[in-house]
Amino acid sequence: MTHAQEVKEIIQALVKAKKNLRIYPENNPVYARIVDDIHSRITSVLEYTGELSLKIRQHDIFFDGESVYHGDGKEENLALFFFKDGVRELTFNKGLPRNEMEDFLGILAVDFDREALDDDIVTLMWEKDFRFIHYMVDDSILLEDETYEERAVEEAKKASQDNEGILQAYREASSIEAGPVTHVIPITDADLDHMIREIEEDTDDKSIKLIHLLFEMLSQVGDTAEYGELAGFIGSALDFAVRHGNLDAAVYTLERIDEETAGDDCENEVRARLEDLKRFMCSEDFVSGIAEVLDEGTEFDEALLQRFASLLDSDAIPSFIHVLGELRSAQARRAVISILSELGRKDIQSVARGLQDRRWYVVRNIICILRQIGDATAVEHLVRAVRHPDKRVKKEAIRTLGVMGTADVLHVLNECISDEDELVRLTAVRAVGLIGTPLSKKILLDRVADRGFRDKTFNEKREFFEVLSRWRDDDVVALMIRALKRRTIFKRAKNTETRAAAAHGLGMTGSADALEPLMKLKNAKNRLLRDNVQAAIKRITGEREKRS
Amino acid sequence: MRERREVDLRLAGKTIINQLGVVLRTGQIHDIDNVAVMDAVDKFIRLVNPVIEAEGLLKIDVIGEFFYINDSRVRYPLEYMLNFDYLLREFQRRELGTVVFGARLETDEIKTFLRVFMSSAYSGTPYEAMEASLEECTNIRIDRLKKITEDGDMDQKKIVKKTYFNAVSFTESVMNRVKAGEKVNMKVAKRVVESMVDLILSEEQLLVGMTAIKDYDEYTYHHSVNVSVLSIAMGQKIGLSRKALTELGLVALFHDIGKMEIPKEILNKPSAFTEEEWSIIRRHPYLGARVLLKLKGFDRTSIRSAVVAFEHHLHYDYSGYPEVRNPVKLDFYTRIITIADQYDAMTSSRVYARVPLAPDRALRIIMERSGSELDPVLCKFFTNMIGVYPVGSLVLLDTREMGLVYECNPLFADRPRVMIIVDGNGRMTEGIIADLTERDTEGRYLKSIVKTLDPNRYRLNLAKYLL
Ligand SMILES: [Fe+2]
Ligand SMILES: [Fe+2]
Repeated sequence: MTHAQEVKEIIQALVKAKKNLRIYPENNPVYARIVDDIHSRITSVLEYTGELSLKIRQHDIFFDGESVYHGDGKEENLALFFFKDGVRELTFNKGLPRNEMEDFLGILAVDFDREALDDDIVTLMWEKDFRFIHYMVDDSILLEDETYEERAVEEAKKASQDNEGILQAYREASSIEAGPVTHVIPITDADLDHMIREIEEDTDDKSIKLIHLLFEMLSQVGDTAEYGELAGFIGSALDFAVRHGNLDAAVYTLERIDEETAGDDCENEVRARLEDLKRFMCSEDFVSGIAEVLDEGTEFDEALLQRFASLLDSDAIPSFIHVLGELRSAQARRAVISILSELGRKDIQSVARGLQDRRWYVVRNIICILRQIGDATAVEHLVRAVRHPDKRVKKEAIRTLGVMGTADVLHVLNECISDEDELVRLTAVRAVGLIGTPLSKKILLDRVADRGFRDKTFNEKREFFEVLSRWRDDDVVALMIRALKRRTIFKRAKNTETRAAAAHGLGMTGSADALEPLMKLKNAKNRLLRDNVQAAIKRITGEREKRS
Repeated sequence: MRERREVDLRLAGKTIINQLGVVLRTGQIHDIDNVAVMDAVDKFIRLVNPVIEAEGLLKIDVIGEFFYINDSRVRYPLEYMLNFDYLLREFQRRELGTVVFGARLETDEIKTFLRVFMSSAYSGTPYEAMEASLEECTNIRIDRLKKITEDGDMDQKKIVKKTYFNAVSFTESVMNRVKAGEKVNMKVAKRVVESMVDLILSEEQLLVGMTAIKDYDEYTYHHSVNVSVLSIAMGQKIGLSRKALTELGLVALFHDIGKMEIPKEILNKPSAFTEEEWSIIRRHPYLGARVLLKLKGFDRTSIRSAVVAFEHHLHYDYSGYPEVRNPVKLDFYTRIITIADQYDAMTSSRVYARVPLAPDRALRIIMERSGSELDPVLCKFFTNMIGVYPVGSLVLLDTREMGLVYECNPLFADRPRVMIIVDGNGRMTEGIIADLTERDTEGRYLKSIVKTLDPNRYRLNLAKYLL
């Protein structure tokens, strides 16, 4: 194969790569294979040519005076792709390392139509600072006026006058006294250290600085119409900052707004525009920017989130609830929940409105937030959530009522103990126990005494007894002992389960009175009963020894 | 295999050169058998021998202001700068351009080299002295420093001129677009600045020299480009990355964009300003920030440009304008650009300085303001970059010739290259360029500067010579 033929094939491979590399992410093996393929093709040509130089024209790419590529039109024309930004020659040199090949192909694959970049191909290549890929550029495409240099030089020289000035200077030179000479002070190690520190401290994101200056500019406007413009700039700077993971900028802005508007000397117009700005920070637009960076994995520390939420208006609650449903990462949801828990203290009704969201997981998160806020007024909303059709929501609401509720929610929880779903029932039993009033105890005792109790699963029965064991009262212990001893003819298996569950409950009470009836069943034939009895004995005696 | 080689050399190059600097510096202070010297030598050998083994030899070249190891240019971080500059100066002093180590090095060989290198300093013809003393040492070969040919110089000069005027032309079109409320193409802006950065990284002084031509224009296009060039050159001295230099250059280019909103009649008024006119001019930082924020969407560059445009007259000690309620530390780029801005403004015939100052006067004023209006550490870097006799200075030599400083020598601040315009007999000449570091066979300098004159006083048109 001739070199030209090989180069033709390389170019075809480049054309294909340009499309395919857009499809695959960089860590995909196909991506790596494309890079490897082109790299090895180019390397093998370089092996005997030393360099591979391509001349770029609008429709053609030439190698060694021969066209190796022809492209018509504007779309998908590889020659034009380089040509339009002024690239006129592209050279690959022997020794081309794979990483440079990959960077080059990465630039080739950039979709300039879709990405609104401020960089063209030349800038992207320039930034890579290639050592084995060289390019020649025609900079005249940058100019609107190509004859500028010529004219400027001519003009500058034209202003020249005769030589008299110079000769006069020369004549006077000897009589003029030599002026002081500025000594160049040598740069020391300390100066270098100082600079290195400056460069390190010089962060990429200057938005806080800009926001600071925009607040300064508020006091320098020429015309009141500019207030709105400046506030708009602050908003845009903020949007930029937040989308780059800089939440400090938002905290800073909110602090400054509060400061500015606190005094009586704040002009009405300024106050109004800053309030607009604060409203913007509550908008879904702005909040979704925060959501995006959270979802991309940016982590903010808890104190910052709290500070941010504490400064923000409660108007932001609906926006945060909205994004809560769209977040993909658990960590991002945690952050938003944390913000809402803080923000919600200012307006619990707004948070509670989130319970009507159609997405069950959002509702569940809202319940969680209401629990974290811990405000008693949330209870009435939670009572409604207990009737939510989704059992995951139901359980969360029941659990939360257990933590926050008082005796007046017990009737609702009692209803839940009859729910058709076992996990819901179990959660309700636990919640009733958590509330822990005499009525709670009565509800549970009544349930155990009920005829239907025997037919429940062992698991559920055990839960009842375990929850009841928090009351170490005589009547509870007596009831459990009765259940432990009860023998029946019908449904024996079910009855044995109840007895085993009662044994477990007795163990949890730690009551000494239970020891004797338990001992009698120590060697019961039924394994479930025996195991539970033995565990209960061990627990009671163990606890007693510890106490003595 | 080749890949590895490249990566390794890139890393090893800068440490090798740095260590050679350490060897020679310690050798200058201590006796050659001193522990510190021996340590430095051992470390140098440990760095160098693996490269010699892999590559067959190690060749160190000085070309222009750069070191090359086995033909690959060595880039170095800021913390190595003092050693690099020291080494470069010592090589140039001895007219030493190349050192080749042909095989694995032994301690004694380096000690010999060190001894020869040190003692040659006392010779009038140091290169010849070194060459003779090293004759016995077959493993070390040296070569004389090559002068960069005048032809190469001329090509470079053409590129420099083109780049400079491209930038001015571009700035003019940007300013006009801004005025007309049109969008500005940032892609082009970046390309323009990138080519300036490239030039400054390779031929720092030539592009800086272009700023000496103070061409007058209504809307400070030249000034904007000059401030950009001077800022990039300073940034390069400080050790900013290429990307950071581009950002700095872009930001500098736009620092005075607020002036577009000030009526021409005021900006170009031939007489002194009234208090009211001053107050209008003092609006330009505020106006500039506004213009820049409206120019395009918010991104890093637009944000930083606005910050710098607003801050560039505030001054390090906040003695400038506009008045602010809560001063906070000025942006790093602002502090760089303010120095470049003040220097260029003083040496140009524009609003702030009706009568332009001679470059060396302006430099003196910059130093006077160091620590008050200007950041003191950055001022040091600036004066080191610009030299004792900035480009455009009119100087009288001890040969009774008169010339214009054409190009500074960053290593010998008081020995620039000078274009002779009047010969020793007081006759005009055709601009021969003399390098003031040149010496005769006895080691004496051929030409030295005696005094400087004010080119403005004699209405000298620098463009005629420097373009
Ligand atoms: Fe200015
Ligand atoms: Fe300026």
